[in-house]
Amino acid sequence: MNRAFAGRWLPYVVPVSLLVAAALLVALQASRPLAVLDMWRPWGEIGALAVVMTAIILTGGIDLSVGSIVALSSVVMGLTWQAGWSLGTSMATGLLAGLAAGVTNGTLVVIGIAPLVVTLATMASFAGLAMALSRGERIAGLPEQFAALGQASWWGVPTQFMLFVLVGVAGWCVVHHTRYGRYLYAIGENREAAKFAAVPVRMVQWSLYTASGAVAALVAVVYTARGGAVVPTAGAGLELPTIACVVVGGTRVTGGRGGIGRTLTGVAILSLLDIGLQFLSGDVRVPWSDVPWRFSANTRLLLIGLLVIGVAVWNERATRQAATTT
Amino acid sequence: MPARPAPLLELVGVTKRFPGVVALDNVSFDLAAGEVHALVGENGAGKSTLINIVSGFFAPDAGKMTLAGQPVAWRSPVDARAQGIATVHQEADLFPTLSVAENMGLERGLPVGWGGWVRRARLDQQARDAVAQLDEPIDERQPAARLSVAQRHMVQIAAAVRQSARVLVLDEPTSALTAEESAWLFRQIRRLKTAGAGILYISHRQSEIFELADRITVLRDGRRVWTGASSTTTPEALIKQMVGRDRAAASGGVARRGTTVRQKARLEVQRLSAADGRFTEVSLRAYGGEILGVYGLIGSGRSEVAQTLFGLRQARGGALRIDGKATTAASPVRAVESGLAYLPEDRLRQSIFSGLSVRANTVISALNRLGHGWLTNAARERQSANQQRANLAIKCRDVEQPIAELSGGNQQKVVLARCLLMEPAVLILDEPTRGVDVASKAEIHRILRDQAEAGTAIVMISSELAEVVENSDRVLVFSDGRIAAEFEGDAISAEAIAAKALPGTTPGANVPKDRPGHKAFRRWRSETALVAANAAMILILAATTDAFLTLDNLWGLLATTAVWCILSLGAATTILAGAIDISLGSLLALSAGVGGLVLKAPYPAYMTIPAAVVAALAVGALGGLSNAAISLWGRVHPIVVTLGTMTVYRGLLIALTGGDTISELPEGFVNWSSARWLGVNGSAALGAATALAMYLWLNRFRGGRHVVAFGSSPTAARQVGISHARTWLAAFAAGGLLAALAGMLELSQTGSLQSGTGTGYELQAIAAAVIGGVSITGGRGSVGGVCLGALLLGLIYNGLVLWQVSRYHYELVTGGLLLCAVIADLAWRRLER
Repeated sequence: MNRAFAGRWLPYVVPVSLLVAAALLVALQASRPLAVLDMWRPWGEIGALAVVMTAIILTGGIDLSVGSIVALSSVVMGLTWQAGWSLGTSMATGLLAGLAAGVTNGTLVVIGIAPLVVTLATMASFAGLAMALSRGERIAGLPEQFAALGQASWWGVPTQFMLFVLVGVAGWCVVHHTRYGRYLYAIGENREAAKFAAVPVRMVQWSLYTASGAVAALVAVVYTARGGAVVPTAGAGLELPTIACVVVGGTRVTGGRGGIGRTLTGVAILSLLDIGLQFLSGDVRVPWSDVPWRFSANTRLLLIGLLVIGVAVWNERATRQAATTT
Repeated sequence: MPARPAPLLELVGVTKRFPGVVALDNVSFDLAAGEVHALVGENGAGKSTLINIVSGFFAPDAGKMTLAGQPVAWRSPVDARAQGIATVHQEADLFPTLSVAENMGLERGLPVGWGGWVRRARLDQQARDAVAQLDEPIDERQPAARLSVAQRHMVQIAAAVRQSARVLVLDEPTSALTAEESAWLFRQIRRLKTAGAGILYISHRQSEIFELADRITVLRDGRRVWTGASSTTTPEALIKQMVGRDRAAASGGVARRGTTVRQKARLEVQRLSAADGRFTEVSLRAYGGEILGVYGLIGSGRSEVAQTLFGLRQARGGALRIDGKATTAASPVRAVESGLAYLPEDRLRQSIFSGLSVRANTVISALNRLGHGWLTNAARERQSANQQRANLAIKCRDVEQPIAELSGGNQQKVVLARCLLMEPAVLILDEPTRGVDVASKAEIHRILRDQAEAGTAIVMISSELAEVVENSDRVLVFSDGRIAAEFEGDAISAEAIAAKALPGTTPGANVPKDRPGHKAFRRWRSETALVAANAAMILILAATTDAFLTLDNLWGLLATTAVWCILSLGAATTILAGAIDISLGSLLALSAGVGGLVLKAPYPAYMTIPAAVVAALAVGALGGLSNAAISLWGRVHPIVVTLGTMTVYRGLLIALTGGDTISELPEGFVNWSSARWLGVNGSAALGAATALAMYLWLNRFRGGRHVVAFGSSPTAARQVGISHARTWLAAFAAGGLLAALAGMLELSQTGSLQSGTGTGYELQAIAAAVIGGVSITGGRGSVGGVCLGALLLGLIYNGLVLWQVSRYHYELVTGGLLLCAVIADLAWRRLER
């Protein structure tokens, strides 16, 4: 296999084989295919977040606060509704809250603090704000129409899927067919050179993190509707599967390489794996010992963690090796 | 006549190639003991490469080197230094957050004793001795970042002199020195001469060369063209050798001069000055139809003017007009809108997007022109890229080829195509043919001439005399931050230009003023603020609550603070090394979980307790080492790795415990933390011992100092031979060990462990570290600060409990504190610069 060929196809080996394995897992296990659609709902939300996360990671940045923005947005929405405002106004306020959170992230990144550090700090701040505002209480009793937003299916298609498609298509257009998208790759590849090439680096970064906040707010609506109540710990830990989708799909963490299509693959792989494993619940005998291994939610999370590391390392090393041509 | 003594340093037939260019071609050179040997040549002649080979930065591709008759093959600058070669570079990397004394010590290897204990006294003494030779005192304990450029050079020179180097290499040493400082330098050089050292002196200043040097060697285009005693030559003869006697004569380029008709003025600059003083009162005009050559040595201000015009540097005063319209150079985006295009000097760092295709590289700056509004049109892009490819004769398979696969010359053409696509009124090029092969060079010149004829104003900055002479219709010469001369038409000649470009006879005539050192910042400023904050918190708590000053509360506070202190020290260590570890909370839980399971084993307590502790520490260390190993070997940023391992470690804990709580631990273990050992509470004792151990390791042992040094500057660390792998493995292992220790301590205090224990702890640990003064970028921080930060956090949480603030506000407090600490850290770093 010559170098050029390997270079083009190597990055696809892992995602494709994982996808095939995951699909097989589900196909073999699922006795009620329609139930799969329902189990897919959380992944629709994660998928939407992953689309924006892809754009951010393309520039070499990261947003660890997406889960917390979901919580904050959800809480603000719930509190506004509880105060007596209409459903529409409450949702709008929730969206505004998410947007404000995104603006905070964007501003701090643009003034020169590393995105990692900013979003680490805001992750705690926004989650804490959500907790403080709600005083740890659930807000239940949201109207039926609202619950439909997260639990209904229109023409058999879950609402989450529609959100995912919406965000996915918008993201794909922006990243692959606009000037803005080209700028993302340039900034991730070489930030200095982007500045010299008259790319509006600051503007792009600010708008990216703001958009992340806005999309997280949209996800918050669907997430809350699915759960049926506003829970202050909403979205905790969402950043891991989100980043996992991006990384497993093949986008490089250092920026400059990857795309929305790759992320869609990542979402497909992880969601199918997760669902397939859920069917495998119960005890599985490990051949060389007597200890049964329980395939629980914990195991699934463990696998995701391992996948993130493994695939990220593979991507870095495989694409690096393929790129060394003399 | 006595036979000539064997040379001290000798190079025979040394050749060095870089992609696309031969930097040194079969150069033979020798340096005798007790001699000052000057090395002259234009930029690009090969001087830097020669110095780098002598200093040990890289090895020659061919040829050999001997030192005092013995063949040498050093593998790193550290080896060369050990052999007695001391180099003072024009721009040296140093460790900005470490003291001057330590910087000097790290360059030659820290003086260590048994087990890596740093001999501080000796380190400081060596530094003091070196600094004592300077006329103006410098405090060797201050952070090296506070030194001005001149001071930095002086310190390096003093250190080299002090070390009794056998060979001293000086690269443009007086470029940043005043007249007095230069005089001091010459005194030191003479001292070394009499001591028998050989001195290799690179400079453009003729006056210095003829004052100091015994022999002079001229390099041109990578070859040695002349060597002789300085008494046998003159400055004019030297310039002729540097430039090449026949080059200035008529050639193809010269014939074209004067054929183009000068059109209207497209660029007008009036009395422009730099905010940082790099150039003053520069006025110039560039006309359509002509190529304006700009010649000047590095530091003369010519590149700085271009960058200021393009909006990359701050201007002070002056006016700018493009095509008659007044504009401000606010940013590159604004500059491009006004019709200015700029081709940067450093192709690799400032121009090329190496992972992207030729097409992407070509069209990046003209996307607004090639699409409809914000949408892009891939077909139009490809068409434009192909057109440029044809016009500029760019050799590539097709425009989708990754630009990294092209030669330097073709890459430069792509960048040029990028500029041309902007259809600029004024095109400024900075070193357009540096690192470019001869054929591409000629093509680029032809392209520029065509552009000029088409009406663009071309400003070509170059430090290659021949290029300037052959292609310019007019030449501006920069020197010491001002325009020293202007030549036109037949008056353009290499000798005339070179003569005007050399810095004035008095060195330091227009040295850019360094900002005055921040004497206002005392060393312990951040720690004082912390102590004050802690004291204030204690007073507030004592005043507003009754329960604070009770013994129960205080012991409890001490206990939790001990846990936080230990964990925060772990987080701080990884941050100091320039990394970060967000899996510490899960690692704490996992190690404590393993320890807890061992404790519950059906064996007597005196066996299980030590076994549990060892097991926990082992798990912690392993976890930390895994984080480091994956990060290093996989070349993935620690944040992604630890994001993954955070989940993995938590998952392992749940798998081990089956989700159950671990409780009912042996009494001996549970009582340990609250028991009194010699009157001191067990937790507090452990916390204090840990803090002391970490203080000693990070401050007094070579391993710890290397960790901090690496975080301070990875590039400088590489230069002095500090291993990336070793420092990160050590730092992460330490983090894991401390997490395990904190976990066992908390297990002893609470007596139980749930699957969710430790969630979010890493955030608080990082917060305590950053509040305690640890810089998030690495290399700066103190153990005392971290302890104070942990104490402050403990006091705040204690306050939240006592004031009966709902516990739902805790996370907000943590997040808010971390946010403030991070912003304050940024402000601190900005002010320090």
